[in-house]
Amino acid sequence: MRRAARALLALAAFAAAGSPLFADVPVRTEQVIYTLVAFNGKDYSPTFAPESSDTVYVLANTDNFLSVRKTFVYWWPPEGRWQTEASVFNELEPGILEVRRGSGEPRLFELQRYTYFNVNGEYEQNWKVLVGDAADAEVRRAQEIARAYLQAGEEYERQHEAYLAELRDLSGRVEKLKSLGRDWSMLKARMDSLPAPVQPRPPRDYVVPPSPVQGAFVVNLPVGRYRVRLLDHDARVLEGSEKWIVSHAARRINGVGYEVIPGDKWTRPSESRELDSVLYVSGAADLYVSPFFEQEFNDLQYARTTDNGARGNPRIYSWSRIQQVPHAVLLLQDAAGARHRLTEEPYFVQQTRGAGLGYTIVPFTGTGDQEGSDANLKAFRLPVRDAVSESGGMTLKATDDSGKYLPGSDRRIVVVRPGRGTAALVIIVLAPLAVMAAVVIARSRLYSRNRETERRAG
Amino acid sequence: MRGRMRVALVLCRRQVFESLVSPGFYVLLSLCLAISSALTAGFAASVDSSGFDPGLSPLYRLVSGAVSGTFGASFFSRLFAEGPLPFGLAVSFLPMLAFLSVTSVFRFGHERGAGAVELIVYGPADPTAYLLAAFLKDATLCILSLAALSAAVLAAGAFVHVLPGRLFVLTLAVVALASLAVFAYGALCSTLLSTVTSALALFIGIQLVFALLFVGGFALVSEPVRSVSFVAAAALQWVSPLFYCSLCFRAAEAAQGAELAGACLLLAVLSASLLAVGHLVIRETGVRA
Repeated sequence: MRRAARALLALAAFAAAGSPLFADVPVRTEQVIYTLVAFNGKDYSPTFAPESSDTVYVLANTDNFLSVRKTFVYWWPPEGRWQTEASVFNELEPGILEVRRGSGEPRLFELQRYTYFNVNGEYEQNWKVLVGDAADAEVRRAQEIARAYLQAGEEYERQHEAYLAELRDLSGRVEKLKSLGRDWSMLKARMDSLPAPVQPRPPRDYVVPPSPVQGAFVVNLPVGRYRVRLLDHDARVLEGSEKWIVSHAARRINGVGYEVIPGDKWTRPSESRELDSVLYVSGAADLYVSPFFEQEFNDLQYARTTDNGARGNPRIYSWSRIQQVPHAVLLLQDAAGARHRLTEEPYFVQQTRGAGLGYTIVPFTGTGDQEGSDANLKAFRLPVRDAVSESGGMTLKATDDSGKYLPGSDRRIVVVRPGRGTAALVIIVLAPLAVMAAVVIARSRLYSRNRETERRAG
Repeated sequence: MRGRMRVALVLCRRQVFESLVSPGFYVLLSLCLAISSALTAGFAASVDSSGFDPGLSPLYRLVSGAVSGTFGASFFSRLFAEGPLPFGLAVSFLPMLAFLSVTSVFRFGHERGAGAVELIVYGPADPTAYLLAAFLKDATLCILSLAALSAAVLAAGAFVHVLPGRLFVLTLAVVALASLAVFAYGALCSTLLSTVTSALALFIGIQLVFALLFVGGFALVSEPVRSVSFVAAAALQWVSPLFYCSLCFRAAEAAQGAELAGACLLLAVLSASLLAVGHLVIRETGVRA
């Protein structure tokens, strides 16, 4: 018995001592994966489908970049998702991608060199895709622009250094003349007229510069469910490359959502995406809103388009932001029924002076403190603080630049009053119990009266 | 038929009166009002300058965790797009729905076991009239409690400036129709099995299966669980009130008026069909325990 206990103790000690040796190190396995750079309606998002995922999701009728690779994959418990270790081993599989819908004719895709980029425009949606030599040329052009900017920056640094050196020199000479009691106005005039070098502006050719040229199958499919596999040049199927592609489209398009920026938390914007919904606010600060077009996708399919390991609900649809409504005008009706036409204005976030934290949002004028700065935000200001005492709330709708009403842009903005009517609520909650007490009392009185009558009769 | 209906109405009036002079209904109504008030007041406390943030109130942190964790964040944001009133109304009515349906099944089985139903049907009443009376009693109390609850929810909302919208009206209608189907299931279970416990077990079991199918179909579950749920639902969803409820809400969400009316009609047809089956069963088996 004692020997058994000692053996158990030794086993426990061994297990305790050995546990750091066997700490949880993710096991990496070599897998054939699909990497996908998928268009999600507003930009491109990279994701990958490991062996455990049998379906890749793409938006219908858009260019998406699919490639088959061999790499190390491991499960990462802290995030509950698969990760790749592409820095160690990442091999692009050559071949032909066969995509087949049902029993129809297969479509074959060849590997292509591609790049995608977003050119500068007034609003966000300016994505371009180039393949082959055009992709190489575009990347070279972007590199030249960046190189030119770097050179201009270096030149500016040199000029700025020379400028500062000359200023220091002139300043020293002025001091010297001052100490000798001689006239230094000439030097002062020269100092004032010395032209400061102009800092080069960053290039504005691209919002997102061209991605490095890579090889992939540029897949553009109509709505449907497709069988996909990679064939080598002898038409043999690469093991592990058989998957499904779900090509899906928006159920509803051109919905209108709003980005909502509260005046007291301008770095924490929220979004109102549900059509004709109510926006409840505390009224502690004015709101700065910006309307955007949105599209409604299947929740699961859209989530997995942007991240193949994401969770989503296949039974519901959710709205996704696509791009800002260009040149919108907002029509605001306050609780009193007065109508206001709001236009988009630039605003500047001004830090509070002194040691205390805080800021105020003021109209951007580009003068005074704002000189040399850009506007921090462009939005429509809603004077919510003025509506704190009003119970009906305000209604908001958007029109485009031609004054045409944008369906689904209606929102009601209501300032809530938490903590009000608590006593009345308690009375309401207890009212049925009061009625119950009255009924029980009435019933017992009735019974006792009946008993009394029976007693007298008996 | 008219005579049977008249008898059913008389019995229903009697049963409603009995329910209203006993304390259970009031206690449950008070509980429902407390839940709805807490949900409305909690929502107002969860609103800051940027909008609704469930993390600001412990109650809504819990609700958000449960709903988002089970059905997804998109479902949660859609649920509260109009405010807390539709959710508050539906959730706070659940205890009353459970109380009314379970007590009806219990009462039917108990009276049947004691021979009281048999005694009644010696008179002008027949078993179907008694069954119909139980259903009408439940429907009356359901409408009464829904009216009280709606008034309380609207009052609680008005205090804190939370407004009702189209979804609230739809929720009210769908909850009322779905409740009728649940009561009809209660009546059917009472006719199928003669003992109280077996009838109750069958009724609760059926409702649990429907709830599981609904959650399995809507929840964020793994693909195999969803597939099993899908196969099971393919067979059973046509008799589930929750399926028609989801049809109603989906049609309303996509602004499809005809589909919405059709789904509401199907809910009513389901209730009528269940009562018809109950009528056939009780005609065959009689009311003797």
